[in-house]
Amino acid sequence: MSANTYDAIVIGSGISGGWAAKELTQKGLKTIMLERGRDIKHIKDYVNANKDPWEFPHRGGRTQKMIEDYPVLKRDYPLNEVNLDYWASDKDSPYTETKRFDWFRGYHVGGRSLMWGRQSYRWADVDFEANLKDGIAVDWPIRYKDVAPWYSYAEKFAGISGNKDGLAILPDGDFMPPMDMNVVEKDVAKRLKEYYKDLRPMIIGRTANITVPHNDRTNCQYRNKCWLGCPFGAYFSTQSATLPAAMATGNLTVRPWSIVTKILYDKDTKKAKGVEVLDAETNQTYEYFAKVVFLNASTINSAWVLMNSATDVWDGGLGSSSGELGHNLMDHHLGVGASGRMEGYEDKYYFGRRANGFYIPRFANLGNDKRDFIRGFGYQGGASREGWSRDIAELNIGGQFKDALTEPGSWQLGMGGFGETLPYHDNKVTLDKTRKDKWGLPVVAIDAELKENELKMRIAIEKDAREILEAAGAKDVQTHSSNPYLGRGIHEMGTARMGRDPKTSVLNEWNQVWDAKNVFVTDGSCMTSAACQNPSLTYMALTARAADYAVKALKKNEI
Amino acid sequence: MHRRTVIKNLALIIGGAALLPACMQEKGKASIALKNVEISADQEKLIGDMAETIIPKTNTPGAKDLNLHLFVLKMLDDCYKKADQQAFISGMAQFTDAVKKKYDNSFAGLSVKQREEMLLSIEKDKDPKSISISAELKTFYGIVKGQTVNGYTNSRYFMTKRVIYELVPGRYNAHFPYKQKQAV
Repeated sequence: MSANTYDAIVIGSGISGGWAAKELTQKGLKTIMLERGRDIKHIKDYVNANKDPWEFPHRGGRTQKMIEDYPVLKRDYPLNEVNLDYWASDKDSPYTETKRFDWFRGYHVGGRSLMWGRQSYRWADVDFEANLKDGIAVDWPIRYKDVAPWYSYAEKFAGISGNKDGLAILPDGDFMPPMDMNVVEKDVAKRLKEYYKDLRPMIIGRTANITVPHNDRTNCQYRNKCWLGCPFGAYFSTQSATLPAAMATGNLTVRPWSIVTKILYDKDTKKAKGVEVLDAETNQTYEYFAKVVFLNASTINSAWVLMNSATDVWDGGLGSSSGELGHNLMDHHLGVGASGRMEGYEDKYYFGRRANGFYIPRFANLGNDKRDFIRGFGYQGGASREGWSRDIAELNIGGQFKDALTEPGSWQLGMGGFGETLPYHDNKVTLDKTRKDKWGLPVVAIDAELKENELKMRIAIEKDAREILEAAGAKDVQTHSSNPYLGRGIHEMGTARMGRDPKTSVLNEWNQVWDAKNVFVTDGSCMTSAACQNPSLTYMALTARAADYAVKALKKNEI
Repeated sequence: MHRRTVIKNLALIIGGAALLPACMQEKGKASIALKNVEISADQEKLIGDMAETIIPKTNTPGAKDLNLHLFVLKMLDDCYKKADQQAFISGMAQFTDAVKKKYDNSFAGLSVKQREEMLLSIEKDKDPKSISISAELKTFYGIVKGQTVNGYTNSRYFMTKRVIYELVPGRYNAHFPYKQKQAV
């Protein structure tokens, strides 16, 4: 075995790449995990995690220099002073926006598992059956029962806290004890239960923050500084969970600064034999070889790798024979919601910073709830007391104003929707060969937009948010709806969808590329539809499931 | 390393030290280094007096004790667009003129009551087309006020002595009883 030969190659080190590395190494495969960016060591490299708010020169805000340097990231909340280093440079890695697409990336070991929102929900059968029932796109080749045991497997290892709410739309999982709702949230949940008779339940968010010690990880300390990296390892990330498990096997090699430029395809065996890597520091090219390749570079970049591979056989790249590679790009559309004031509860407060909120699962287009669009949306929100920024009547300046700043204001209740985006063939990514990144590699062009179904849904999200908050007893309810663009959900999905037919899908039911059976794609690109739940838990489950299949198939010499 | 090189390097280090801002503060310039706006020592003092009017020293520290005016300048220098920085500078000049016109005095020369009255007259003018208080003046005041309060509520003093901030709360108490300290 030469130095560059392994049993398995994992491309990418984010949520799904970390899972692939863990599963493959634990099953005995010598594995190399290739990461395009720098290394970030657990705890040691979380440089801002233990800083107090006043230690940041601009108190966490953004400078004009940052705004100039990050023309894409500046469009939304990710551009900030406290974890700027975790976001990919828009300048080094540009992309072409045929239509506006807010692409927020993490190019380092751990990828976006370090900055993710951690909300973790199972899908239900209604989600896996949706395309078939609506007669759109293609049918998922799997159903809930295929994924359910893998959801359990993923939840038990990742550590998901949540309540067993017994909802058909949002199956219960193997949870750690749930976080608490505060007093106002509890009352609101009760009122909604009375008002909607269980049709629009409000539950505590299910989150990948552990509430009891787990493996070598300490339970959540309620700092709400997750996206700086957690010194307690209290939320699931590659660094806190999958990477140490994979390293413990002695089977894993991690190679940062490794941009995979293509998968090396062998025409004779009709399989991949390895990958080509461009060293991002030295610009030298290397080849690595393995029996199986897991592609987990994140939805858009996984499509990019495939499009650059086997172009001597297929013009459109590996997996393009169906004509679907790069197509059906999805996200969750958001930025629509409402907030209002809750009267009373002045003698109630909360202590600690809970990195979680409440969740109202999908209710639209279920049962008797019929809409002028298909699919649905969920809401995430919370109740909290206002701080100093509130208007303090008649006390604008001076000693009394100064003292008033120390008092919490009234209770506010707010929530925003996460809406399902349909898989449209013409929402796509392609290679833009006219433009190169810092390493001379062609960039992607993204051409995707929200269409009629999503735009109609957004009107409903806004209207229903008002109705729910008013039913909950909120006063002065204000709604908002902003930036109807894809990308800002940071839930890219669908560029290499799974399906039942190689003519209409890129991957089969085991996440294998139809055209190269030893290449498995298990990040967001495999998604056939988007549902409206946060998707990462599903990637974890699908990755573990695919890795299990891959190792069995290897042993049987099937791949 | 050659002896001569060592001496040269040493000279560079010492020379560098001599250029530290504190030692070489030009007379009439602001006390902190600013890259994008020019603020004189007098203007710095004006902003300090305004910040102190907004967050005065009482039985607890005020804006000057906490150097909030320097935070205002730092934020102005780094975080605002050129247009806002320009509006800040012209608004500041207009503010000085308005004070002079109204009180025939500088802001520094006013009583606390007059200072409060002056700032409140800007706060209370909600008309965007107001003639007496221009958009620039409002931008200037808005930045001073906003960043003074931002600096105060995010200061170590405020977060450790006035409210209870813990880096590691370790728990979430969803039913924390609270007694309002004063009627707001």
